[in-house]
Amino acid sequence: MSNYILKYSRDDRVKYISHLDFVRLFHRTIRRTGMNFMFSQGFNPHPIMTVAQPLSVGVTSESEYMKVGFDGEYGEEEIVETINGAFPPGYKIIAAKRVGGKEIDLTKLDRAVYTVELEYEGSADIDELLKNKELIVMKKSKSGVKESDIRPYIYWIEKLSEQDGILILKMCISVGNTYNLKPQSVIDAMEKYCPDFKAGFMNVHRNSMMCGNTEIL
Amino acid sequence: MITTKDKILSAVTKPTRYTGGELNAVMKNPAEVDVRFAFCFADTYEIAMSHLGLKILYHTLNDRPDTYCERVFAPWTDMEEEMKKHGMRLFALETGDEVTHFDMMGFTLQYELCYSNVVNMLMLADIPVLAKDRDESYPIICGGGPCAYNAEPVADIFDFFMMGEGEDVIHEVVDEYVKWKKSGKKSKRDYLEAIAEIEGVYVPSFYDVEYNEDNTIKSVTPNNPHAKPTVRKRIMKDFDATYAPETIIVPFGEVVHDRVMLEIMRGCLRGCRFCQAGYIYRPLRERKPDTLLGIADNLLSCSGYDEISLSSLSTSDFSGLPDLTDGLLEMTEKKKIGLSLPSLRIDNFSLELMEKVQKVRKTGITFAPEAGTQRLRDVINKNINEEDIIKSTNLLFRGGWTSVKLYFMIGLPTETMEDVRGIADLAQKVLDVYFGIPKEERAKNINITVSTSSFVPKPFTAFQWAKQDTRDMLIEKQNELKSAIKSKRIRYNWHDNKTSYLEGVFARGDRRLCDVIIKAVQKGCKFDGWGEHFNFDAWMSTFDDLGIDPDFYTARERSYDEVLPWDHIDIGVTKNFLMRENEKAKKAATTPHCRLRCAGCGAKSFGTGVCYE
Repeated sequence: MSNYILKYSRDDRVKYISHLDFVRLFHRTIRRTGMNFMFSQGFNPHPIMTVAQPLSVGVTSESEYMKVGFDGEYGEEEIVETINGAFPPGYKIIAAKRVGGKEIDLTKLDRAVYTVELEYEGSADIDELLKNKELIVMKKSKSGVKESDIRPYIYWIEKLSEQDGILILKMCISVGNTYNLKPQSVIDAMEKYCPDFKAGFMNVHRNSMMCGNTEIL
Repeated sequence: MITTKDKILSAVTKPTRYTGGELNAVMKNPAEVDVRFAFCFADTYEIAMSHLGLKILYHTLNDRPDTYCERVFAPWTDMEEEMKKHGMRLFALETGDEVTHFDMMGFTLQYELCYSNVVNMLMLADIPVLAKDRDESYPIICGGGPCAYNAEPVADIFDFFMMGEGEDVIHEVVDEYVKWKKSGKKSKRDYLEAIAEIEGVYVPSFYDVEYNEDNTIKSVTPNNPHAKPTVRKRIMKDFDATYAPETIIVPFGEVVHDRVMLEIMRGCLRGCRFCQAGYIYRPLRERKPDTLLGIADNLLSCSGYDEISLSSLSTSDFSGLPDLTDGLLEMTEKKKIGLSLPSLRIDNFSLELMEKVQKVRKTGITFAPEAGTQRLRDVINKNINEEDIIKSTNLLFRGGWTSVKLYFMIGLPTETMEDVRGIADLAQKVLDVYFGIPKEERAKNINITVSTSSFVPKPFTAFQWAKQDTRDMLIEKQNELKSAIKSKRIRYNWHDNKTSYLEGVFARGDRRLCDVIIKAVQKGCKFDGWGEHFNFDAWMSTFDDLGIDPDFYTARERSYDEVLPWDHIDIGVTKNFLMRENEKAKKAATTPHCRLRCAGCGAKSFGTGVCYE
């Protein structure tokens, strides 16, 4: 058995696929490649894979990670090419890395950079926003919707452009087990704390996912 | 960039129903083809993508360099609202283009309750609903599938129908379209006259229907020299060599039949008298096990599916079953693929097979005795007796199965309350079989489910003349059955009788129903097969508004000399044979299946299949 970390992207064409559907899609992709996957035991044996920080429906990304196990040895390049040959259009493996033990731990991914493109009215002063000691928004958790301070989990926000009613922001925020923050919550905070700012429809793209400030692959 | 498409898709459930782009979906440049064909299925993505006929016709059309076939399905109601809000018309999945000016649209008519969706889809496409209101700038609209055999209720909507199996005839009508288009598409009539000459093509506007004073049909007469007095269905003579697609589209979201479907044979030799499929697909034709193993291997590799299912009307009647299943098991075990075997008759062979297939999990087993007493099973020619059921359930319970489903119909011709109570008796006997087995030899927690659907007489069956039970009668029978079931281990489910009633109206309907369907859609009727959308009152008030009595179509026993709305269609099985079968039914006399003795149904005239074994 050999384990690999795969870095992959998904574009506009496949961004509405849910996490569960992606898992099924990946199983089928691997079956098509004819590579020998490690299978789980049980009634319905399925390939073993772990996806780090599943993407929300509607979000595109160029920095997704998963860990997979093969029965046998494959070259890193070979894996990239073979899987890309079997993926439906829109998904792409960017890199593969053979791992022996725990030198790359996907659960340690703790921050992500997003580009958010949104329709808006009024204006938002990002520097002023970030001067707030706390930013309390309503946030969904397992136990229901409750208030939460998201300020400590925003590392930086940069305004890229603002014209014709479209605002483009780049932001680095927390993901993962400690605190999973979604760009939507940041926009909620802007609506609450920036006077006369009103957000409309938005598109989100994940640029990278990191441990601290380091890309893992 | 923020697009309207993003806004729409973010607002609806299951957006991947509308995005296209699945693996093996065909991408072409529409500018490089002569014919843009929209394969339409008037239901949701999940149902449409489970339909085998779509997979076949989609790929065979796309194998032509001159044609681009795309898929068009009914948007769910949330999507319809979003489309209307943004001024978006009905679109095709592959290119996202509006279908309004495609060359052809082909609807597969799988069940009567999809008619409202057909009309609704045309409205969403901004295409005039009636064929006579569409000039050459609109798509030619055609239909096929089981309901095409009596498509009179939607005859005014369609330009033409194709009777029977579509693999060949679809190419012939597209060939003619290419010729017509290249000649400048002068008049739609020219095209329809050209294809009316093709066997299996029915152009409804080329036939005049006259009615008697009592609303029955007086005559159906061709009004065009190119139209034949009767239109004969098409079949694939050499089924083993019939086109099977090289690839299949793999949906992103889960669909109803999310697996490789292997069509092992067409037609059925059993001759159940209520079953339209059993008559219209005659004669039975099989593929060879070797051919099937090749198709299976190929489709599993190109799709990555982890499940394969055999598709046919009666798997156990497939003569090459042992060879096929041996080969399949070898393939599926190696690749860790699930094999499902629907429509098996339970005997030692199939039980052993099931043990091999599902090594650990014992899922439920379904029997379809269809009627509660032997007399009534003989009436419908359902060749299964109580002893079979008792014997097989005994084997099953000893083999560890504990969940049994029993399917019945109520409202069958000649049915009495005694027959209805017979359903409860049969279920009780199955339960007794379980309790008759020593505790150590059976698994725990037996549960038996009895389901009844309401019988709907269909064209081209032995019961096409029969009276359909009224809704009140059906309710009375359901109540009788409820009170006759004594054990808590037996659960009873029944089918809603309102949809069966409407289905019955359309199944044997005529052209006078077309206005009703269009008006009902204007009142908001759609997705009639979906309980949450079915609006029975709206339908009934529409019948009322237009002065049409729906009981005329359901509550009457028709006489043999009445002209039936579908008499000008020839399925190979003769009307005489159906009459003979109906008479035998009245005497509870059975007809042996095709391999035991030829019953002389007429399908032999196709020169192939079980008739020549």
